[in-house]
Amino acid sequence: MKYMKKIVYVCELLLFLVVTIGPFVWAFVLSVTPDNAVFAPTVKLLPEHVTWAHYGELFSPDSRRGTAFFSAMLNSLRAVGITLCIGVPIAAIAAYALGRMEFKGRNLIKNLLLITMVIPVMATIIPLYRMFAAGEMLDNIFWLSIVYVSSYLPMAVWLISNYFATIPRELDEAARIDGCGEAKTFFYVMLPLSYPILISVVLIMFLNTWSQFQIPLILASSMETKPMAIIVSEFMTKDSVQYGLIAAAGMLALIPPAAATLFFRKYLVAGMMKGSVKG
Amino acid sequence: MSAQQTAESTNTMKKKILPYLLLTPMILIMGVLVYYPILATFSYSLKKWKLTAPADIHFIGLKNYIDILQSESFWYSMENTLFILVMVVVFTTICGCMVAMFLNIDVRGSGILMALSILPWALPPYVNGVLWKFVFFSGYGFLNKLLLGMGLISHPIEFLSARWTLLLVVSIVVIWRSTPFMALVCLAGRRSIPSQIYEAARGDGATRTATFRYITAPLMLPFVGVGLTSTSVTAINVFDEIVSLSGYSDLGKNILMESYLTTFEFLNFGKGAAMTYLVMFCALILGVLYLRSLNKEVEY
Amino acid sequence: MKKRIISMLLCVVMTATMVAGCGSKKTDSGSSADTATSGEKITFMVPDWGVPTDDQLKEFTDETGIDVEIAEVGWDDIREKLATGASAGKAVADVVEVDWSWVGEFEAADWLEPLEVSDEDKTDIPTIETFTINDKVLAMPYTNDYRLSFYNTKQFEKAGITEEPQTWNDVLEDCRKLKSTGTVEYPFALSLNAEEKTSTCLMWLAYTMNGVVWNDDGTLNKDSAMEALEYMDTLVKEELVAPEDKTSSGMDAYKRICGGTASFLTGPTSFVSRSTNPEECSVIGEITPILVPGKDAKATETMALPEAIGVTKASKNKEAAKKFVEWYTSADMQERLNETNSAIPTRNSVLEKLIQDGKIENAGAMLEEAKLISSPFPNGVPSYYAEMSSAMYNAINKMALGTYTPEQAYEEMASATEKLAKE
Repeated sequence: MKYMKKIVYVCELLLFLVVTIGPFVWAFVLSVTPDNAVFAPTVKLLPEHVTWAHYGELFSPDSRRGTAFFSAMLNSLRAVGITLCIGVPIAAIAAYALGRMEFKGRNLIKNLLLITMVIPVMATIIPLYRMFAAGEMLDNIFWLSIVYVSSYLPMAVWLISNYFATIPRELDEAARIDGCGEAKTFFYVMLPLSYPILISVVLIMFLNTWSQFQIPLILASSMETKPMAIIVSEFMTKDSVQYGLIAAAGMLALIPPAAATLFFRKYLVAGMMKGSVKG
Repeated sequence: MSAQQTAESTNTMKKKILPYLLLTPMILIMGVLVYYPILATFSYSLKKWKLTAPADIHFIGLKNYIDILQSESFWYSMENTLFILVMVVVFTTICGCMVAMFLNIDVRGSGILMALSILPWALPPYVNGVLWKFVFFSGYGFLNKLLLGMGLISHPIEFLSARWTLLLVVSIVVIWRSTPFMALVCLAGRRSIPSQIYEAARGDGATRTATFRYITAPLMLPFVGVGLTSTSVTAINVFDEIVSLSGYSDLGKNILMESYLTTFEFLNFGKGAAMTYLVMFCALILGVLYLRSLNKEVEY
Repeated sequence: MKKRIISMLLCVVMTATMVAGCGSKKTDSGSSADTATSGEKITFMVPDWGVPTDDQLKEFTDETGIDVEIAEVGWDDIREKLATGASAGKAVADVVEVDWSWVGEFEAADWLEPLEVSDEDKTDIPTIETFTINDKVLAMPYTNDYRLSFYNTKQFEKAGITEEPQTWNDVLEDCRKLKSTGTVEYPFALSLNAEEKTSTCLMWLAYTMNGVVWNDDGTLNKDSAMEALEYMDTLVKEELVAPEDKTSSGMDAYKRICGGTASFLTGPTSFVSRSTNPEECSVIGEITPILVPGKDAKATETMALPEAIGVTKASKNKEAAKKFVEWYTSADMQERLNETNSAIPTRNSVLEKLIQDGKIENAGAMLEEAKLISSPFPNGVPSYYAEMSSAMYNAINKMALGTYTPEQAYEEMASATEKLAKE
């Protein structure tokens, strides 16, 4: 029985790996394939010649594409940083109010917030542009990040407040009897107990910000603000489609989010094993 | 005694105001960056506003909407949108829950597996499309190479040349990208369930199916719900993937693409705005359905 | 519990410092940009291939005291940005890229400032015609692209064809021979995907066959368009074009000639240099640029698809912007841009010089063809071009995929065009 379980698990693992990583392996193969062999009519999976020219171009300090790509990576990271620093606290306190407090209009506010999840970027982008143009806020990573935050808030608040709701009331009542105020209860009881969900929200915001495309396309055009996704899409221009370069850039673009996930996974796993209530 | 009373009343006053204070930053951001623009877009959708006719911008009521609803191409796009929506929602939910369950098994290296599972989501949708284009490329793409190599086919299959296979490919690509999010949300939900409940259930002699039916499923529902809503919105708003797989072709276009083309290619801002409103309306129906079924309080 | 709080705090501190660092950097760059505006300053929005080198820009700044800020934006996205900007009454840049296909709608939307151009320049740059509407020059072409034919001499020889194709019928016969002898399976590289290049394919094909695409009232010329459509249909039916050309990007279809999987192409001039670049081409030395075939002999005109730069109406520095346009499209700069950006000059005088100096290799019939450039639009590019082109390429794509006959494709295009022309 146990043996069977193991076999099933290994099968699952293999399937999981093939589906998840397979396309990336293929992308890597493409990134080392010379451009003139990309569509060669052969059934061979690997190119005859391996070229590192695409990575070379991205890493070389004199290549315009390379410097543009890395400055764009930095821009994306900055946007991620600002988004997290603003988005997570706002979401957490709003979730605390919505999840743990009773007040008038609570359901209305909650519903009005949640319903914005269905609003596509296209529906707000033109008025946003006009607003930003009037306020001289274009080409500014800070304001760009605030727009990202506005699109993540409903989901983040909903996730966190649901999690808050699962924390037994006795805990904060106990804290209050010990003389903790609202603020102390929030910081010393609620936050430490709910960091698995906070980390999940951090990850969600990180990854979504990382691949932003449509919003910055309209709101940011300077080299100092353009995120990575836009620069990569510019490798595919009207007259030249540099598939190898796109694949190479895509591979490199995976590193920061992968590193972040690896970094945070410890906390995610720890939270799971300890169980969320045994503070 | 009176001092105590005032202290109490300030305390209750504080208690009354506090939640609103906590919500202020959120309300500000949402009001200015979401609610105001969405109303502005609605006002555009009631106008004739074509950039190539700058002198002729005026109020026309619902004419944009009527024109759109009467056009054949809108309904064609609608069919495509619905097809992608159903495929993506169903399979993302299934795959997401499966991956979450898989990742929930605690073995050595499960952290690394989690990091791996997140990767597809980290890929910008545009790159994602390009990546899969190579897999399903109608000439010698990966899949064709594989099938040819195994001798299953003698000529490359044209995956991207027919409407339904193209839409299927689009759906697969979107499912692949949105599964990690679903898995993460499900996992978070699974972890929000206090382990005592399971222990207690086990103590009461509950079977596995009963535990799932009466504990896991209902407690995870709000989380799956948020995943569902978000996945549905993603599915309705697929754009980059279709463009990188089949260009701006009529074949695989969805409503969002039609709205994009109308706005930025044909420079008809009024009609484009009306179309985004219709897209949003579809998403709204789904959103309300999910919300109504999920907005019950979770109490323990 | 304690540990968790500490780890949480650590996270917060880390991200906070990161953002603080970024934040300060941001304000730094902001203020330095502000102080730099001592003289006049303009922004120039172009795709990557139009960006001049830093040295070139510095020379311009030294010469005129005008600072130029480059906004490098993907070609497709420029229109989107201009449109959004215009809807807010804002100039996204002082000097912007203007593709030949955009000029009609830019004129209708009133986004461009007319430029003054000498008659001398007008004769030297034949493509100015495309950017002239109501006798006003709205943009100056800076990089040229016109339809030129290419064929793989080695493959033609292998199939036993010794002569260069003169007419479209020759091409068809040659391709059949290439296929039947098993030399090349899909000898004709043609864009059939639903994209802009496919519409232009129909236009140049009809134009080189019959010298006409559009009637004077803006409607499609039926005989000419039908002939071109039927020609394309024959190519598809006899599988002379690759099946993947129907769905892969037009550029990928064109590139087949560089990969050796196609033997004949009528396409962008950039293939002159592509065919000599070992990174892009695996059949170097086999591809020869020739004059585009016609109906009974070589075609007497070819279609140009040039790109230009123009000054936006909402710009606050029009004079400086005009100076920049003049400098950027001058003969001297065109010569240098060819070296640094491999831009193909729009001035025939420069093109001639570059070919004579041997700076453009494997030129073949390039210069000769450049002299045949003329515009297929009798009234200029219409303001509804984008919508019309979308209807055209979708109809052609459906024909290629077998859902439409050439007649049906024509009907759909014609009715769409007619409707748009009436509006």
